[in-house]
Order: sequence, then structure tokens, then C-alpha cells
Amino acid sequence: MIFVKYNQLDIKDGIKLHTIDTEKFKTNLIAVMLTTKLQKENVTKNALIPAVLRRGTSILNTQEEINKKLEEMYGASLDCGLDKTGDNQVLKFYIESVNDGFLPNDNENMLKQSIEDILQLVFNPYTESNKFKKEYVEQEKENLKQIIEGKIDNKARYALDRCIEEMYKNEPYGLYKYGYVDDLKNINEENLYEYYINLINNCKVDIFVSGILDDNIEDIIRNNENINKLKERKPEYVMPNISGKKTDKENSVQEQMDVNQGKLVIGLDLDLDNEDLKYDAMIYNSILGGSANSKLFQNVREKASLAYTASSSYYRFKNNIFINCGIEIANYDKALEIIKQQIEEMKSGNFTDEEVENAKQGIVASIKSIDDEQDTEITYFFGQELSKNKLDLNAYMERINKVNKQNVIDIANRVSINTIYFLKNI
Amino acid sequence: MQIIENSKIKEKLYIEKLENGLTVMIIPKRGIQKKYIIWGTNYGSNDSTFIVPGETEVTEVPKGVAHFLEHKMFEQENGRNSLDVLTALGVNANAYTTNNHTAYLYECTDNFYEALDEFMDYVQHPYFTDENVEKEKGIIGQEIMMYDDYPDWKVYLNALENMYHKNPIRLDITGTVETISKIDKDILYKCYNTFYNPSNMAMVICGDFEPEKILEEIKKRLINNKSNGEIKRIYEDEPVDIVKEKVEQKMEVSKPLYTIGIKDIPAEDKEKVKKHISIEILLNILIGSSSELYKQLYDIGNSYSVPSIEYEFDKSYAFILINGQSNNPEELFEMLKKQIDKFVSEGINESDFNRTKKMIYGEYVKEYNDVTSISRMFLSDYFKGINSFDYLEEISTINIQYVNQVLKNVFKKDKMVLSVVRN
Repeated sequence: MIFVKYNQLDIKDGIKLHTIDTEKFKTNLIAVMLTTKLQKENVTKNALIPAVLRRGTSILNTQEEINKKLEEMYGASLDCGLDKTGDNQVLKFYIESVNDGFLPNDNENMLKQSIEDILQLVFNPYTESNKFKKEYVEQEKENLKQIIEGKIDNKARYALDRCIEEMYKNEPYGLYKYGYVDDLKNINEENLYEYYINLINNCKVDIFVSGILDDNIEDIIRNNENINKLKERKPEYVMPNISGKKTDKENSVQEQMDVNQGKLVIGLDLDLDNEDLKYDAMIYNSILGGSANSKLFQNVREKASLAYTASSSYYRFKNNIFINCGIEIANYDKALEIIKQQIEEMKSGNFTDEEVENAKQGIVASIKSIDDEQDTEITYFFGQELSKNKLDLNAYMERINKVNKQNVIDIANRVSINTIYFLKNI
Repeated sequence: MQIIENSKIKEKLYIEKLENGLTVMIIPKRGIQKKYIIWGTNYGSNDSTFIVPGETEVTEVPKGVAHFLEHKMFEQENGRNSLDVLTALGVNANAYTTNNHTAYLYECTDNFYEALDEFMDYVQHPYFTDENVEKEKGIIGQEIMMYDDYPDWKVYLNALENMYHKNPIRLDITGTVETISKIDKDILYKCYNTFYNPSNMAMVICGDFEPEKILEEIKKRLINNKSNGEIKRIYEDEPVDIVKEKVEQKMEVSKPLYTIGIKDIPAEDKEKVKKHISIEILLNILIGSSSELYKQLYDIGNSYSVPSIEYEFDKSYAFILINGQSNNPEELFEMLKKQIDKFVSEGINESDFNRTKKMIYGEYVKEYNDVTSISRMFLSDYFKGINSFDYLEEISTINIQYVNQVLKNVFKKDKMVLSVVRN
């Protein structure tokens, strides 16, 4: 049995504190998640905000001052990120610092300091006459433009993003999480600040604190002036809906770029009508392409020697599976045929009970080790926060252990190919 | 077993050299579910010319054998693949090859001992046939092509080629499609028998274990293999000078990628750790996130992310790498040289030194957060002749005079190279 001292409580409507008391780590990890609806008109602004906030707070006005302070705190690290979780965009802020017990002086108050610093960064930015600093916004617009243009740099990731974009044309999930270069020109220090104020007063706020929690975390948060000034809210975000089959027609897209190896991505739809089936789908994915024993790895790589990578991943918030392969461009037809064959084999139940058991073991092992990694643990609880059917780690393992071969065949027969995307050379 | 304790981070290392020459290191972690084991041989892509113990003739094998061997080790005589067997047990198994070592590993929560049977069996029982060697050439060929599409890999390799005339560090770990075509089963057996001898290997185990008990379990599964003599590795003499200063390659990237290299010479054994820490401190003061130079680069729109910095070294090489993306790498290169000049003549600032030292200390502590990073760190440091705890101990002994001296000795303009990949 897994025993995690996890607690959650509402600080205000729409603002939640999650604490994870754990002695497994040398560090404290604190995360602030701002969750809002994924929308074309806001996606670029949301992507810009973490970068602008990282430039300065009302106390530490420049990024040099922030960085020096972090270095002084024995190299505390501050990370800002963006995620697409179902039809939501999540702005993520993390601070990691060494716990007092492992420092030369054990009275540094590192945990309290870290909490205060991250809240300061997210909720009390540096402003000039009720606007962000113009220079910061302009520089970060340029920086973001380069990030957006940089999506071609990692070809495998690019192929996956393009496949998702094709599958979700004109839908929120098809949006690129870093936004669009065209939208940047209409953003300035004034309207971005206005948007930011609106965001922090309406988005869902989740604060995670993980580590050796000697202090009273609830008091620290409740007494924090940056939290006090936030209003109660009914947050605007989207709980994921199970969705059925999205298309009747297999869509095929081929594009060219200067690559040596072809990148093949196949997007599959899972026609599920019940949230609970997602656990069966995890086992299905594991047998299809989730491990070195999987059908894809064994047949595309080991038997046909066509690829070095051949795998699949399940996106549970959208109910899709994405198959990824890096192949010789001339082998496209051959690889596609073998992959389709594997999907059919799954439908006909051409896999063993042993494969089902192995897949279950693999997933149970990964559940058991969730609380061995501080960020994984936070990601898990945050994922639960955005899910309708919540399971604790033990119930999660029990549910996985219940899956049998027939359940997997049932899933296989709800699978259909939506889009075949291929990136090849010029 | 020898026990080494580090009071700062409250961890213990149990270390034992067995009769057959194998070194076993155990770092117990109470209450952690994950268990990690890694078994490495001090044999990497650099070791392609050597004298087999007991022989007098020099053996030279094609580039890429160490990595090829790593791929082929999983295949078993009974037709099974050990990677599949381990995966079926619910453990996460893998292997990798570097310039100076090859490692096999798995992590798990359950079935540790069942997996240990398979793990120790396959590493000790190679099975190569003409057919299975041929088949692997297709897979590795695709792996090589995958790396060919990574601009960050290319920019790194080009920098090494510009620094080194002879040392095999300048070559791709995988070899090339051409060199691997020459590999056959006899070559694989010869290299296996030479380098996979217990006296050339080390094992690290991290997780919730009783050290004595796990050591017994390891011993039970070892084939009684005698330690063979020393392997003489032959590297051509490497000039201290670089090959050439600048290199550029065209690839489809949105923004130029650069690697700046500074060629150094390996330190004396007792200086290795101190020098490594000093270089990390210097690089952070020079171009880290709070440095004057990084602020300038940011303000003029040259770079928007902190370059990654590292110091790589082993017995036959040592070099600094600074990597990143920049709109004008040539400008960055010149500004860096200027900043080095300034620091060399003025010395580094005391408060920068103290602050950076604190930061580096914190970073070392963070390495002890998970079983994976602990195990990998102890293994790779071991093959360099270092006990990882030394970093935590020696950092407090470093003073500003020492760091200024390292700055003068290592950061030399005529030892610097710039590699760029751009559109």
C-alpha cells in the first residue's frame, strides 16, 4: 500500500492549496498552476505572461536581481512552463530549493522563503504606471516569436504537433501552446497587463507544496498578502469530456522538410462512452506500443528492422493514441502496412493473457513510483484535480489490476485511424 | 565492506571490491519504492585500439563496436531477448554507451530479484551469430540517421572535431554506417572477452536495500570469472593545440545553434575534483543567468536563454562546452573572449564567487533526490577515479585565489573553438 500525506483545502473559491508531506527528497518543490480555457484569442497572451513575469517583481525589478537571489538561496531553481491539458491552457510556475536540513546552516527558512518568492513572482509583477514594463514585453514578444518559429527544430516533436493540428483543425486542442506570431503584433504592455489582471482574477489557481513540511503551510498561504488580494472566483476551465469517434475518413497528410529520416505519426481515435474505460485503454496502448515488448517495437523495429523508434502514447485527456516512428523514407508503405496490421491484430485479440498481465505490471510499477519523484507526484495530483473520476494511488492500481484480455479487445474495436502524418525529405 | 558516510546530505556509500575484481557500490535509500541497478564496463567508443591482456599484438577494431555490443547483449541463445524478459517482469530496463563506458541498468518497484537473475545472466552471456549481427545493422543505421537529424548533436560533434586532431572523442559514439558494416561476430566476441571482465567493471545499486544482503545476492549470481590483467589502451598522442577555430554547418533550424569549446588538458588525480568545481564556478560567473555578459546578450537580443555549460574530462581528454541558441553566435563568441580577458586581468569578484559557490553546493545536493541520478553519477565518476561524495567535501576548501589561477590556466583564447549550425 502506498501512503502519501496528501491534503487539499480551499483557500478561497477557485483557489486551492495542495500539500504533500514527504521525507523522500532533499528539496522543497512548490508549484503554482493557473488554468484557463484554451482559446485562439488568448493562447498567445497566455504564452507570453510567464516570460514577462519572470523578468521582474515589484521587489526584485530585474531578472538579474531575481537570479542573484535564487543563487544566494543555494541555487534555488525557478521554472516557468506552459501546458495543454485537454482543452485548457495551464501556466505553470515552479520553485525548487534545498531543504534546511541539508544546508550548512539549518535556519535558512528556505521553505517559507521559496513559497513567498514564487507567489511574489506570479501575483506581484514589476509594473510602471499600471502597465507591464514596455521593454520587457517587447523583448519577450521577440523571444516568444523565436520559440514559435523554433518548432521546426525538433523534427519528431514537430511531426507530432502537426498531426495533432490536423486532427483538431478549428478546435481548441489543435492550437499550438506557444501561440501564433501573427497575434504578437497586437499585444502591448497595456493590453497584456489588463489581460493578466483579468486572468489572475478568473483562472483556476492551484498551489502545490511538497517536501518536509515542518511549517504550517496553510498559515503561510493565508497570511500571504499576494494571496489575500486575490478575489474569490468561479474559475473558467474545461473538465475533459469523453469524446467519441471524430471522423469516418482516414486523413493522410505528407509534408516535406530537410530531413534524413522520415517521421511517421499516426493519430488514432478511441470511441469511448465511459470515463472508466480509460484504464483499459492504458493497457491497450501499452500492448500496442507502450514498451519494448509491444507489438510496434517488436514488429516494426525488431522483426522488420525498419526503425530505431517505434512507439505509441495515450493522451487520456483527449482520448487519442499517437504512434511515432522514425523510418527510412522509402520504407513508408512497408512500415504503414506493418503498423496497420498490428492495429488489426489487436482487434482480433491476437495477443496473450501474459501480455495483458505484463502491461498491467508495467503500469502498476509506474504508479508505485509516482511518489518517488517530486514533480511527477505534483503532476499526478494536478491531473486528478482536472479529472472527473478521482482515484487515489491505491484505487488506481486496483483498477488497473482488474483489466482483462476481453476489456482490451473491446477497446481495440473502438480504435480507428484518424490521421496519418508523414514528414519526408525534399 | 567499506562504509563512507556523508554527514552533509546524510547518505552512506557501501563499497566492496570482490575477489574477481568487480567493484560493487551500494547507496541505501530507506522508504523509496524505486530500486535501481546499473552495471558498467570501463569500455566506450574511445577504446578501439588496445592490447588484449596476455597478447603482444595491437588489436584495432572498427569505430562503433562498443555501442554495437551494447545493442547485441540482450539477445540470448534460447532465442529470447532479455529486454523483453525484463519488460515482462514490469521492470524498466535499458542500456547506453558513452565515450568511456557502457552501462546496463534497470529500475523497478517489484520483482527486483527475478529481474536480477535475468540481468546478471545476460550481461555475462553474450550470444552473437552472423544473422543477428547483420540484422542489427539496419536498426543502428536508423539510429545513426536519427542523430543526423538532431542539430544539437551535430553542432556538438563538429566542435569536438575542431578541438581534437587524433583523440577518438572526436568521433560519433555509434560509428558510421560504413564502419559498422565491417563489424562481425568475431570482433564482438573479442571485445566482449577483453572488456567485460569483472576487473574492468563496476556495479551501483540504489534503493531500499540491506547492503550485506544485496551484496550476497550479487555474489551468488556472478560466474566465477577470474580477473584478467590490465588492458593496454592505445591513443595516439594528441597535440595541445586545436584543429581550427571555426566551423559551420547548414541544417534546417529556426535560429543558429552554437557550441563553444575550450580545449584543456586532464588534471592530476588529486586536482580533478577541485578543478572541476572551479570551472563550474567560473562558467557561471562568466556566462550564467546572473552574469553581466548574459544580461548584455539578452538586452541586445543576441540570446534569450542561458547557455548550458559543462566540463567533460577523462584520462585522455578535458574540455569545456558552452551550448545554446543565438541570433549571432560570432558576436557572442567575441563578447565572451572579451569578458574572459577582463576577468583574467581583474580577477573575479568576491561576492560573485561566494554566491556562486553556494549555488553549486545546492546543485550537488539536488543530485541526491532520486535513485537514477545517484546511481549514474557514482558509476560515471567511478570510472574517472572519483568518489561522488568528494564534490560535497571539496567545495568548501576552494578559495578565490585557486579559482583565479584555474581561470588563467584554462580559459585561453587560442584553445577556443566555435561551432555553428544555421540555415
